[in-house]
Amino acid sequence: MKVVLQNLTKIFPSRNKKSGEEVVAVNDFTFEIPDGKLIGLLGPSGCGKSTTLYMISGLQKPTGGKIFFGDDDVTELPTESRGVGLVFQNYALYPHMTVKQNILFPLQNLKGADKMSKAEMLKRATEAAKLVQIDNLMERKPSELSGGQQQRVAIARALVKMPRVLLLDEPLSNLDARLRLQTREEIRRIQRETGITTIFVTHDQEEAMSISDMIVVMKLGVLQQIGAPQEVYDDPHNLFVAKFLGTPPINVFEGAVSGGKLIIGEQAVLDVPGVADQDVYVGIRPEGFIPEENGPMTCNLSSVEVMGRDSSLVTTHTASLNPLVRSIIDSDIKVDPAAETVNFSLKPHKVFIFNKETEDRIYFEVN
Amino acid sequence: MSDFKTMQAKDLQKASAQQRVVKVGVQIVTYLFLFTMALIVIFPFYWMIISSLKEMGEYRQSIPTLFPKVLDFANYAEVFTNEDLLLGQLFFNTLLVGVISTALSLVITVISAFAFARLEFKGKNALFAALLATMMIPGELFTITNYQTVSSFGWKETYTVLIVPFLVSVFYIYLLRQNFMQIPNELYLAAKVDGTSDIKYLWKVMIPLALPTIISITILKMMGSWNSYMWPRLVANDDAHRLITNGLRTAFTNAEGVTDIPVQMAAVAVVSFPLFLVFIFLRKYIMKGVSRSGIKG
Amino acid sequence: MVDSKHQWKAWLYLAPAIVLLLIFTVWPIFNTIRMSLLEGYTTMQDVAGVSFNFGIGNFKNVLEYHGFITCLKNTILLCVLTVPISTFLALLIAVALNSIKPLQRFLQTVFFMPYVTNSIAIGMVFAAMFNMIIGGGARPDSVGIVNNVLEAFGFEYINWMNAGSEYWANIVVMVVYIVWNALPFKILILLGGLQSVNKQYYEAARVDSTPRWRVFTKITIPLLSPMLAYVIITGFIGGFKEYSSIVGIFGEKMGPVGQQYSLDTMVGFIYRAIGNNEGRASAAALILFGIIFIVTMINLYVSKKKTHY
Repeated sequence: MKVVLQNLTKIFPSRNKKSGEEVVAVNDFTFEIPDGKLIGLLGPSGCGKSTTLYMISGLQKPTGGKIFFGDDDVTELPTESRGVGLVFQNYALYPHMTVKQNILFPLQNLKGADKMSKAEMLKRATEAAKLVQIDNLMERKPSELSGGQQQRVAIARALVKMPRVLLLDEPLSNLDARLRLQTREEIRRIQRETGITTIFVTHDQEEAMSISDMIVVMKLGVLQQIGAPQEVYDDPHNLFVAKFLGTPPINVFEGAVSGGKLIIGEQAVLDVPGVADQDVYVGIRPEGFIPEENGPMTCNLSSVEVMGRDSSLVTTHTASLNPLVRSIIDSDIKVDPAAETVNFSLKPHKVFIFNKETEDRIYFEVN
Repeated sequence: MSDFKTMQAKDLQKASAQQRVVKVGVQIVTYLFLFTMALIVIFPFYWMIISSLKEMGEYRQSIPTLFPKVLDFANYAEVFTNEDLLLGQLFFNTLLVGVISTALSLVITVISAFAFARLEFKGKNALFAALLATMMIPGELFTITNYQTVSSFGWKETYTVLIVPFLVSVFYIYLLRQNFMQIPNELYLAAKVDGTSDIKYLWKVMIPLALPTIISITILKMMGSWNSYMWPRLVANDDAHRLITNGLRTAFTNAEGVTDIPVQMAAVAVVSFPLFLVFIFLRKYIMKGVSRSGIKG
Repeated sequence: MVDSKHQWKAWLYLAPAIVLLLIFTVWPIFNTIRMSLLEGYTTMQDVAGVSFNFGIGNFKNVLEYHGFITCLKNTILLCVLTVPISTFLALLIAVALNSIKPLQRFLQTVFFMPYVTNSIAIGMVFAAMFNMIIGGGARPDSVGIVNNVLEAFGFEYINWMNAGSEYWANIVVMVVYIVWNALPFKILILLGGLQSVNKQYYEAARVDSTPRWRVFTKITIPLLSPMLAYVIITGFIGGFKEYSSIVGIFGEKMGPVGQQYSLDTMVGFIYRAIGNNEGRASAAALILFGIIFIVTMINLYVSKKKTHY
């Protein structure tokens, strides 16, 4: 089932009646989620991603715009009749029901032609439980389960009615680090096996990048960029997206373009043909640095961290907006940790320049 | 040096031994006090039961017996067969009124508490505050007008008059609403996603989760009916509708005001018996309900 | 959180409660004030179409009514005696219960027992315990178990509540019964309060080797002050509405044989005016409300000053 959002807008009336300020949680959102894909809605907290999810689920009504499931306009449809599955951040399992009763619950609510026999419901519930590998816990109460197990029950409950769309709100945020890695692979597997269009919300870019077919980056209710994770990483449309994706994060410098050359500090570090002279922000991915004796960019070396396959050079630069400039290099390349400075040449496709006012990307030709 | 050490150790030993003596002494006094008080608290119940089993002759002895010489159940037979008391009718009336008013009251309490806890509507907070404010007013103030009202409705000496005026308890609505509010909002949203209607969510999720409170309310309301005295006496004190407490108060006292105490005690024991059962099996719920509330049924 | 366009649904759910409250709670408030301000109001005359003068005559009438001062005196006397006694006893019992381990639950259950009783029925049991059975001789056939106990300790028996008994003796009987009746609720609340006090305070006091009495007055009482305030306020409210416990012991004549209504209370006064003089009943009810309101406010004010958190 493809999901289409058309000019979706959500405005919350102000809490403070005197000031009367409204909060625009989601601003004129338009995009299309292709059928059967896993989509990550990504952004810092307060960016409107959860609101978007709740609007898709029908729990919140949009102030403007439309939502389509396939060709059906579901904007006015109440949650109960949308056929979505939603996994809540804290799972929202019914505490007085067993795992089995929790999973059966949505099926027991089906009416009319969808109504099932008891045996059929049980079969479906068992299938869903098997899919998330909790079929041995069916008689337990939620309080007797670990966080990871509760999460699986919540997913099973969302899946059991074969939802048209599966929605997950920060599905991994309540799990510990090890479980998080395991569970995100699990979500990927379940989504592949069921083929249900799945949208999940997260503030963790690594999480979104690692399993999504497509990520949607949001900021303050405004859509920033949509695309396959690698695509967005390699080609960020603005400084926010560039900064938000990638660990370690991108290094940002103040710089200028002059005569087709990119200047950082005093040094001309890269040819940027076709860009007019102006002050810019420069983003350089950590893997965009190549240590070379005669490299055009000089940084002050603080330390060298060797991490097996890669090493990380921790340096400083006066034009950097961050206190440290991190670069990741092949550990075969030897750098003297005692050296005062280190010179880099830059990989042009790992360098992004942005307009200083709009923070939008300025493209240049890469040879 | 070593002398000093042992001295200190000895002193410490002595001090701690002294402390232990004080502690044991305090414990003994505490238990003595508690047992004495407990005895005083229980004694009326004991006196009620043994008096009800005594023959009048034994009861009148100037040196009372702490246990009846002859167990005389005739007093109980008298209670059950007395034609002025009509115990069967009293039990029936009280149970009927108790069960119906508790059931209706629960329905009203649950749906009202649900509306206040879960639904959004204009004026909700103002309305709720107004309801709470009425709790400050003593019930006697309402009784005067309610007596007029039910008289003009022609409800006097009916079961209706014993049930309807007290169906709504602001206090129970408040209690249950507080309990409902503790249920996380996500469960409601989850139920919406699972395709549940409001009523079904109330029935399947909220009521089971608030069950202890609902049971407390049920018991307190039932006890209230069982013990109610003034209102029933005012509006339905006829043989067909009289409730048990009223019947009890006037029974077994003859025209000269002389009371047959052993029979009276038997009647009191019979009336108290259901309350004892409630106490034995359900006191956990009552104690929970009362400690949250502070009212007597 | 959830947008709801079904406002009418909420009102539908509330409809039964609102309708009943309008009839049996809201209307009585206004009507009581109306009746209290119509001089000499009675329902029968009102229905017959008689009109009444507007004024405070009913209030004057209540205050000048011969029985009213007795009612007020009895009510206040019972309140002032029973609230402090029952609160103090409940506090002692709660603290004692809290300090023991074996049998704590059993004793707690025993002390809660009087709560689940019918106050009329058990009042009759108390009456039987204090009552004398007069025979032919100079000494009554039976002086009642309470007098038996007194005699065992070498005292003389007392006419507690039979014909010709003295007022103070009647009051003692009432105080004993009311305190007995009030204990379970107060113990429950105070014990609950004690059990929720963080044990660390006591441990800290022990480390500082604080004497027992000081721990009680400087730690336990202050930490318990909200619950104490609560039981005292509810005790006063209940005390001013005392009625059925007196009916339980002395019967509906509210006094020993031959001394009718000598133990009447405010609520008794109101009830007896219902059905014959609603103007007087309403005025008395409003006076009762006023007294309860003022006493509660004073209590709240004092407890705000004395309550430590």
